[in-house]
Amino acid sequence: MPTETSNLAPMGSTPGPQLTAPGRNPEHAVHGRSLRRQKKMGNALMLLFLSVAALIMATPFLWMALSAMRDPTEMAMVPMPLIPQDWRFENFTETLERAPFGIYARNSLILASAAAILNVTFASACGYALAKLRFAGSKFVFGWIVACIMIPFYATVIPVFLMVRHMPLFGGNSIFGQGGIGWIDSWWALIVPGAVSPFMVFLFRQFYVGTPTELIEAARLDGVSEFGIYSRIITPLIRPGLLTVALLSFEAGWNNFLWPLLVTTSENLRVIQVGIASFRQEATTDWHLLMAGTTMAAVPMIVLFLIFQRYFVQGFAASGIK
Amino acid sequence: MSTTTAPRTAGAQAPAVTRRRSGPRAAEARWGMLLAAPATIHTLLWIGIPIIVALVLSFTAYDVVSAPRFNAGDNYAQIFQDTIFWKAVVNNVIIAGVGIPISMFLALVFAVMLNRAIPGRGIFRVMVFLPHITATVAVAMIWLWIYSPSSSGLMNTVLGVIGIGPLPYLTSPSLALPSVILVTIWQGIGLKMLIYLAALQGVNEELYEAADIDGANFVQKFHRITVPMLKPATFFILVTSLIANFQTFDLIYILTEGGPANATNVVTYRIYQTAFQEFRFGLASAQSIILLLMLIVLTFFSRRIVGGTDAD
Repeated sequence: MPTETSNLAPMGSTPGPQLTAPGRNPEHAVHGRSLRRQKKMGNALMLLFLSVAALIMATPFLWMALSAMRDPTEMAMVPMPLIPQDWRFENFTETLERAPFGIYARNSLILASAAAILNVTFASACGYALAKLRFAGSKFVFGWIVACIMIPFYATVIPVFLMVRHMPLFGGNSIFGQGGIGWIDSWWALIVPGAVSPFMVFLFRQFYVGTPTELIEAARLDGVSEFGIYSRIITPLIRPGLLTVALLSFEAGWNNFLWPLLVTTSENLRVIQVGIASFRQEATTDWHLLMAGTTMAAVPMIVLFLIFQRYFVQGFAASGIK
Repeated sequence: MSTTTAPRTAGAQAPAVTRRRSGPRAAEARWGMLLAAPATIHTLLWIGIPIIVALVLSFTAYDVVSAPRFNAGDNYAQIFQDTIFWKAVVNNVIIAGVGIPISMFLALVFAVMLNRAIPGRGIFRVMVFLPHITATVAVAMIWLWIYSPSSSGLMNTVLGVIGIGPLPYLTSPSLALPSVILVTIWQGIGLKMLIYLAALQGVNEELYEAADIDGANFVQKFHRITVPMLKPATFFILVTSLIANFQTFDLIYILTEGGPANATNVVTYRIYQTAFQEFRFGLASAQSIILLLMLIVLTFFSRRIVGGTDAD
């Protein structure tokens, strides 16, 4: 469409109408066309660049998937064929025979679900109070929660471990927390210390700040109890936020490694990430099995992300841009 | 209101007024405290107390078996001379110094491109973001296999095409750290891109339209509009990346265990070694206090460098 150009009247004086006015100058028409072609070329180049980049980004995952279904004899070939010559799904069954990945996955599921439920319950309550209720010490609580976000787990892991180990009256401990193993190797240790994440409190506060305060006041006049306002009127308004926090907590629980590694010893309580690390000691160079195990640990989160992408993204973005 | 209810409301008038002044307010205050209490108590218990305990333990020698013994500032003096600990700090700085700028740049490039209406951008976003959502242990396992020193390792296969290798990436003192950095870049782009994308969506389109009218080209627009508008996001990404970088643990645990010869040891892994392999909990506590101080200093410094505008 060569007519869709501006005339050569001085730019800047009245730019608006000129841009849409049909042009008369052929020279400019040519310029416009080449510009559009340039833009098209640019777009094509960009698409090419993105495709290559995305492929590179995805390569490790593809490599994992391919290796998980390779025949072990193929692994030793030089050069190894890029695409497996026959797909060997037995790798997964063999992995499950060698290590109880089913139990690992079950434990991770329990841990991650507990983290999600507890965070949604307690972090939302605190977040709501901080965002909408006036009470003594609310400034202190908010400051404290923000400070907690800044404190890395690695700075407190040793005392938390010692507290768990010396939990009085558990695991053979005396009332002074001596003599036994406390919460070590128990669900208590896995779940309780991480039950409330200060970051989730902060996130919930951000979600609740956006809800209408007039609604709360109206509900109060109608005689709805404070807890009723929180649980039945305001919280349903931030349902996507609830899902976001649940998903982020679930993800953190599923992917957690150091803490379960430190506090569990028995296979019955081993979570999947620790399971892979221990399976690595056992299977050493059986990469087809190690990759099958890794696939089992990675895929659930990937699937969950693909389904709930929008909510994950909202959470990750809300953590940054207010 | 009917006349029959009038006397009743009139009679209840006096107490109702006082209740309206203090009653609902008191209920609000009571429920505020009640709702905030579980999370507050939990964090005081599991973050507040541990910080104090860490501080106290950092002035003791403690091996779990016998009671902690006060040793003044011995731990800190020891850390000061601990070459492995400082090597770990330097490694963290190198990983951050090399990895963060590269992944931030790539994230920005991806974000600017994916902010446009191009076909399949949803898929591209997912591809770039997947490494972030995947457990670092799984990520590390994948790269452990990619970096396999045998000639069937993917990295060796790829670089073999141009005549390099086979190389023992993770066991070579000079290659191990760059290999680790590559993984951190690969895993780090996604989240940074996401934050940039969110920030880009907040940039007013009219700014670009105005610039178009003034005849600004792509580079000028990027330099004069995109970059300044993304400053808060950049600051945020930098701070969170620095903090996250100093918490790298899973990756090192699986990939290198800090080796070879501490070439890839990092602060968190050093703390882990000191506490859970050498059972020197006092010394490890002092190390974690130093880690905490470094992170606090980092946050303040990066705020000054970037001139953070995190005004909310």
